[in-house]
Amino acid sequence: MKRLSIALATAMIIVSLVLSYLSLSLTPKAKVVIRVSTTTSLYVTGLLDHLAEELKKRYPEVEVVFISVGSGAALELAAKGDVDVVMVHAPSLEKKYIERGVIVNGAIFAYNYFVLVGPSEDPARVKGLEDIVEAFKRIYQAGELGHSCFVSRGDMSGTHVRELMIWNMTGLNPKGRLWYVESGTGMSKTLMLADNLKAYTLSDIGTFLKLKKEGVLKNLVMLVSRGSLLINVYSIHLVNPSRYEVNKEYARRWMEFILSDDGQELIASYGKDKYGVALFNPAKGRSEELKKMWNLLSEGG
Amino acid sequence: MLITMEELPGIIMRSIMISGTATLLSTAWSLPLTIKLSLSKHPLKESLMGILNSLVGFPTVLVGLLLYLVFSSSGPLGMLRLIYTPQAIIIGEALLITPLMMSLLYEVVCRSVSVYWELAISLGASKRRATWFVMEQTLPELMIVLLMSFSRAIGELGVALLVGGNIKGFTRVITTSIALAIEAGEFDLAVFLGMVLLTMMILLATTVRLLRAWLEK
Repeated sequence: MKRLSIALATAMIIVSLVLSYLSLSLTPKAKVVIRVSTTTSLYVTGLLDHLAEELKKRYPEVEVVFISVGSGAALELAAKGDVDVVMVHAPSLEKKYIERGVIVNGAIFAYNYFVLVGPSEDPARVKGLEDIVEAFKRIYQAGELGHSCFVSRGDMSGTHVRELMIWNMTGLNPKGRLWYVESGTGMSKTLMLADNLKAYTLSDIGTFLKLKKEGVLKNLVMLVSRGSLLINVYSIHLVNPSRYEVNKEYARRWMEFILSDDGQELIASYGKDKYGVALFNPAKGRSEELKKMWNLLSEGG
Repeated sequence: MLITMEELPGIIMRSIMISGTATLLSTAWSLPLTIKLSLSKHPLKESLMGILNSLVGFPTVLVGLLLYLVFSSSGPLGMLRLIYTPQAIIIGEALLITPLMMSLLYEVVCRSVSVYWELAISLGASKRRATWFVMEQTLPELMIVLLMSFSRAIGELGVALLVGGNIKGFTRVITTSIALAIEAGEFDLAVFLGMVLLTMMILLATTVRLLRAWLEK
């Protein structure tokens, strides 16, 4: 019985090795693979796949692959040395990883706005407010009166960090209040939760529009969408080649492509046909202004 | 749409290939270990089985995280460069289903040995013939064990997501596609993918059951 089971085990290991070799051949053969860890909002809107296809037209040997997670996780993947490039939107977190020497050569490549969304009945009466801090204060009061709820991401993502920063500026602390719900999950699931609870939440505009278009969100509407505090800055960073074994040369090419006139034009026009508006604004021409904003935000978390 | 219809056959094939390989790989160590365990008289045998039984429902996302930490470039096995490859998912799923497979096999093997082995020996069969007899009798049930283990492997999300990374055309499998479709609010696609997975499993399970019935005839 012993000998038989050894033979059987050996046979199975051989078969599975052959199969796993075959499953390698299922994968596309590209000479160069650039690994990019990215925040979900850039990926689920389809922008990154779109840009990667355009890059492939220029450099057919290059395959850009994306690992789509929250900004916090995306940066942590870089710290582990598992990716070549990071594309995120959490200045205060980015700053920490820059200081640790994990990421270098950061550049802002796009921006859009965070939006405060909530039920169309708007019990806290925040629609049309110019000042997001005032809007949060009203939500707090309405919450205390039992008129409304607020759903927080609660996952240290770029959106969550921004939300905390705004709460901080109100001087109020919603943590632990009954009406303050922490979802601890991604933007889409948080929006779905807020939609069901008829609650307010802060979202990036891309994910909100995408879900609205898919017909997933029935109750939520955009309430506050402008103001410098709501600017959402997307940056691209290279993982430090002197500390990690990364694909330096091609990572740089990907970055240069994103920041080039062509890349910026692709970002500017992406989504216009599907959503009626562009989901992202290119950083080109406004880089000084955005850099200032980034510095301000990086202090705020 | 984030996932186009042209990609679907590839995703399904990849899922079957990865989880199928993982099941075979897991059998390669689970079967001999279980046979050895079932024949042993060690006093800690029952506690060991207890541990394995309790690991059957271990959260897949935690298994995924632990494996990520091991396979990551800065992890202990980083030099193998397995992170974000189909091979990493294969190894991860093989480990994930080991407790389930060993728990199921243990019952099957114990019963076979106690019934058929003793029977064969008492009827005067040589050890070799007795072994064959046990194997023959166990085979149909072994197929069911393989099927259930495969089902656990192909239906899990945590390992595939964390060590595979859900990379388009490379490590994207059915479950990670479902997760992505949900993230993108494309619920129709998510449900469709779920139906594909279910249909596949029903077809496979029915085939195995029929085969078993035929074998037992």
